[in-house]
Amino acid sequence: MSALEQSPGEIGPSDLPDFCSKPTLVLGVGNTLFGDDGFGCAVIEYAESHCSIPEDVCLLDVGTGVRKLLFTLCLSPIRPQQLIIIDAIDVGRAPGEIFEIDPAELPVAKLDDFSLHQLPTSNMLRELQDTCGVKVRILACQTNPLPEEICEGLSAAVRDAVPRAADWLIGHYFPAARSA
Amino acid sequence: MAKTLVIQPVTRIEGHAKVTIQLNDAGNVDTARVNVIELRGFERFCMGRPVEDMPRITPRICGVCPWSHHLASAKACDAVFGVTPPPAGAKLRELCNSIAYMEEHILHFYFLAGADFLLGPDAPYSVRNVIGVLQAAPDVAQRVVKVRHMCAKMLETLAGKAIHPQAAVPGGFSKPLTKDERDKVRKQADEALELAKFSIAFAKENVFPKYLEVVKTLGVINTGFIGTVKDDGALNLYDGKLRLMTPAGTYQDFTYDKYTDYIAEHIESWSYLKFPYAKQWGEGFSMDTDGPKGVYRANTLARINVCDYIDTPLANAELEEFRKNFGRPAQLTLLYHWARLIELLYNAENTIRLLDDPEITSTETRVKVTPRAARGVGCTEAPRGTLIHDYETDADGLVTNVNLIVGTTHNNAPINMSVTQAAKSLIKDGQYDQGVLNTVEMSIRAYDPCLSCATHRLDGKLSVKLEIVDADGKVLDTLAN
Repeated sequence: MSALEQSPGEIGPSDLPDFCSKPTLVLGVGNTLFGDDGFGCAVIEYAESHCSIPEDVCLLDVGTGVRKLLFTLCLSPIRPQQLIIIDAIDVGRAPGEIFEIDPAELPVAKLDDFSLHQLPTSNMLRELQDTCGVKVRILACQTNPLPEEICEGLSAAVRDAVPRAADWLIGHYFPAARSA
Repeated sequence: MAKTLVIQPVTRIEGHAKVTIQLNDAGNVDTARVNVIELRGFERFCMGRPVEDMPRITPRICGVCPWSHHLASAKACDAVFGVTPPPAGAKLRELCNSIAYMEEHILHFYFLAGADFLLGPDAPYSVRNVIGVLQAAPDVAQRVVKVRHMCAKMLETLAGKAIHPQAAVPGGFSKPLTKDERDKVRKQADEALELAKFSIAFAKENVFPKYLEVVKTLGVINTGFIGTVKDDGALNLYDGKLRLMTPAGTYQDFTYDKYTDYIAEHIESWSYLKFPYAKQWGEGFSMDTDGPKGVYRANTLARINVCDYIDTPLANAELEEFRKNFGRPAQLTLLYHWARLIELLYNAENTIRLLDDPEITSTETRVKVTPRAARGVGCTEAPRGTLIHDYETDADGLVTNVNLIVGTTHNNAPINMSVTQAAKSLIKDGQYDQGVLNTVEMSIRAYDPCLSCATHRLDGKLSVKLEIVDADGKVLDTLAN
């Protein structure tokens, strides 16, 4: 039998990265080398160090690697029930303000732009929610202007938002961990 | 009236780029330039840091090629400290490199470039993406998805953390591989090999013949090549010596630390990204598509061209067939895709070879290091081309100088030349449409460029659009995806 005639095998949980099979997946997105862009990563670090994470929740600082992970989720036969994205944004609000965004409400500039170089890709998030049955929530933080050159560290306003964002996350998804 | 066409950004490549096509008064292509956003300030950021932190920091540069930066950085640190990792440490690094390669090459062939081939460059933008690929060839997609997922799982088993890897350390590898882990990964490697064999057979039967005319004409340029080979001339993607090949096929070999004797960097006022060229050839630098000077290419086709042979049987058989068809060095730009599948096969075979090596489970995976004032150059073949990390430290082991040449930078001049060639052949008398412009983009995607991740805010602020601008800067037309 030639390779072309063989049928593909089934994909089981043991073939998949662990994040695919956790009911709740939380991704902190951003580049810690570019100031406030590292907000999402800082929230994950804070949450991990201030509470014990339940077994059914996966927290990941995915940094600049989120596109590959979202891509994997889009194609995976086994996915989380809910996906929470923590990321930075600039939509003209006060720096440090945190707010939820529905994937359908992403800024117009991002719509219909399918490409792996945009992070996190709005199309993949919408695909996950609309056709893959994954409930997607996005918690965003308004940033100060990002540096043009590499510069680590959050601004004071965004740094202050980190524990508030972690509280929101813990309160919504693993409140029992708050007292841990 | 002269026009300028702007495609921004190029879709389905890793990074941001803007293509500007300047038309002359007759509506034909005058020049084509690819502008990219470059990561700036990294060298200054590294100054004064302990050099052993570099393998941990550098994967943050790029979410696409974290393993390549991680390993090149660890190798540069080895050189700075003057140590050689134990055999098991070096083999575990190479094993991770091969698995990461498989994940990347599968992604690129099937889902980045694949949409062009499986759906055609004229397919509507709304379906010319991964979902379109899945719908067009569901059986293929399922097979691909399974192995790509397994590669991620294998890296998780080997290194614990695959997104921002930290397992490679100066002096070796921090996490020995247990025999149980080896046995688990070994089964998955068998399936990866089957996928690799399937992929090249599938492409040779269903993809390449269909687009052979495009392969023979699109983005074709004549350049030299760079890649890594072992002492006996065999292909290697983790370690060896650099080989710089002229367009005629003659070559010179040199050790990593001598790269500045062979390569210089040209600067153009319209691009942040530098243009490395072969100064050793003594002809200067020119991107004239009819008579380039000093221009060489990196990435898959380059590596397949510079090696004398491949030391795994199935990939070597494919190499011989490839050379029978296209010669050495092969110059057709879209052959990067064919070469990528040969490399996929090589990496699948190499993964099995390394896992079958009894030494891979040795617990001696690293040696101690001691700070000193030194210079160290580390080099790996990243999926997108030769990756060079060059560090200098003071007596306390703190970084005093850093220079990085990433894979895509080597291809900066060739990408510009290929786009110019493609644009000239496809845009005539001012006539163009979305399909033509995507075909121009195909010539860029062949190089699988990674054009800097820079920042990643949710809003992005970029969309795919084409602007037609006259010589006075007036926008005459706008096309958006």
